Amino acid sequence: MQFSTHTQGEFTVVAIGEARMDASVAPELKHSIAQLLADGVTRIVLDLSQVTFMDSSSLGALVSLLKMVGNRGDLIVAGAKGIVADLFKLTRMDRVFRMTESVDAATCAVAA
Amino acid sequence: MKAMILAAGKGTRVRPITNEMPKPMIPILRKPVMESIVELLRTHGVHEIVVNTSHLAPVIENYFRDGNQLGVHIAYSYEGYMTEDGLEGKALGSAGGMKRIQEFSGFFDETFIVLCGDAWIDLDISAALRQHREKGGIATIILQEVPHEEVHKYGVVKLDEHQRIVQFQEKPKREEAVSNLINTGIYIFEPEIFDYIPAETEYDIGGQLFPALVAAGEAFFGIPMDFQWVDIGSVPDVWAATRMALLGQIHGFQMPGKQVQPGVWTGINVSINWDQVKLTPPVYIGSSSKIEAGSHITGPCMIGANCVVESGAEISECLISDYTRIGGMAALDNKLIFGGDCISPDGSTMNVSETQIRWLVDDMRRVLNPSDIHDMMLFNNMLSYYGELEHENEVA
Repeated sequence: MQFSTHTQGEFTVVAIGEARMDASVAPELKHSIAQLLADGVTRIVLDLSQVTFMDSSSLGALVSLLKMVGNRGDLIVAGAKGIVADLFKLTRMDRVFRMTESVDAATCAVAA
Repeated sequence: MKAMILAAGKGTRVRPITNEMPKPMIPILRKPVMESIVELLRTHGVHEIVVNTSHLAPVIENYFRDGNQLGVHIAYSYEGYMTEDGLEGKALGSAGGMKRIQEFSGFFDETFIVLCGDAWIDLDISAALRQHREKGGIATIILQEVPHEEVHKYGVVKLDEHQRIVQFQEKPKREEAVSNLINTGIYIFEPEIFDYIPAETEYDIGGQLFPALVAAGEAFFGIPMDFQWVDIGSVPDVWAATRMALLGQIHGFQMPGKQVQPGVWTGINVSINWDQVKLTPPVYIGSSSKIEAGSHITGPCMIGANCVVESGAEISECLISDYTRIGGMAALDNKLIFGGDCISPDGSTMNVSETQIRWLVDDMRRVLNPSDIHDMMLFNNMLSYYGELEHENEVA
């Protein structure tokens, strides 16, 4: 799975570089972000602006990660659009995840 | 008068719906558009109708058969071949399709009307025929006036003071349009029209035949008529047409089923706990569908036959086709559920199988497998966990 991380303010931004987030990337997605959490990162913004397709298994991986983060930190979903945003809405996960239009919106809103 | 219904188009702009059914079979609240056209023709005394079919021809032919059940005679002119892989359509174009029928039997031996099978209309055909006879031309095009900002979507026609057609424009820019009278795709012809159509050639009425008539100096006319014309040329159109029907905006459209509450129609054999389902009209619920307690349905909304809406589901302004199960966790807003696809009004499509959300939206006849149940539990737990958290926050 292609992704890159960088720090923006208090946040670690994880930018997904895959157009498709399906069953073939879900385990690695879960593992990589779980590793970040194990390394002590608590505030994560997941940048999905490059993603054009997501399936239930990848969304399920995110749900498991959100559980891991729990009340100790943040896992904010930024830049979801089109059918990716639709998937969050359809499954009501837009009510569970904090979702923002962009990475900047995520880091600003929470900082403020 | 005799009639020909054009039904051979591929309907590429209505995919994925037209992967399963040709455009004339797309229903507005359960009734295929073409069925409404056949009924309109019958009302105006047209009883002999030839339909040219190609793409998914059997869907049309098996539905209308010989027309007996609708009180008319229907025959088909199939454009295509049978190959090793089955039927392969090869449409001849609108005029080419007419010519094929005429060459075959000389069917068009009197004034006849040709119309597309993919728009709902309430045209006064008898009045149009009267005007056609008064003008005395070889062809008459039924026109409609549209706002200037919409001319770019249509074929535009310029008339002289005697309503003779002097110019054609295909989808002109607003500033270049010679008028705001558009071709509705409904034509009345005299059999002499076939002198202008080459045999065994793909030939189009709007694009080739009419320009040829203009070039030949043949007298043919355009008559602007005031009638409702609900096109279903694209996925947004299908959605808009269904909404209009539910909102009572299609003049003369007969709602299916029976009205059980103001603005709520159902078929028969429905299972609904009326006290515990939150319904906001207008809503239509098809026969043999089950709406479980605790679900929310906000209109305009159409739920097909044999559907199951599970407890907790939220459905708002949707069109849901037959045999769909909507899981209790689903929140559907402005969606068309059709053939395993979840389609947005702008045409963007999410396939429930590819997205692996069959645990949420699927054919109700399919049994859930363990991985579906795993996903359902995972998401469900998450939602109830956060629901409780929110509740605690509210209390605090």
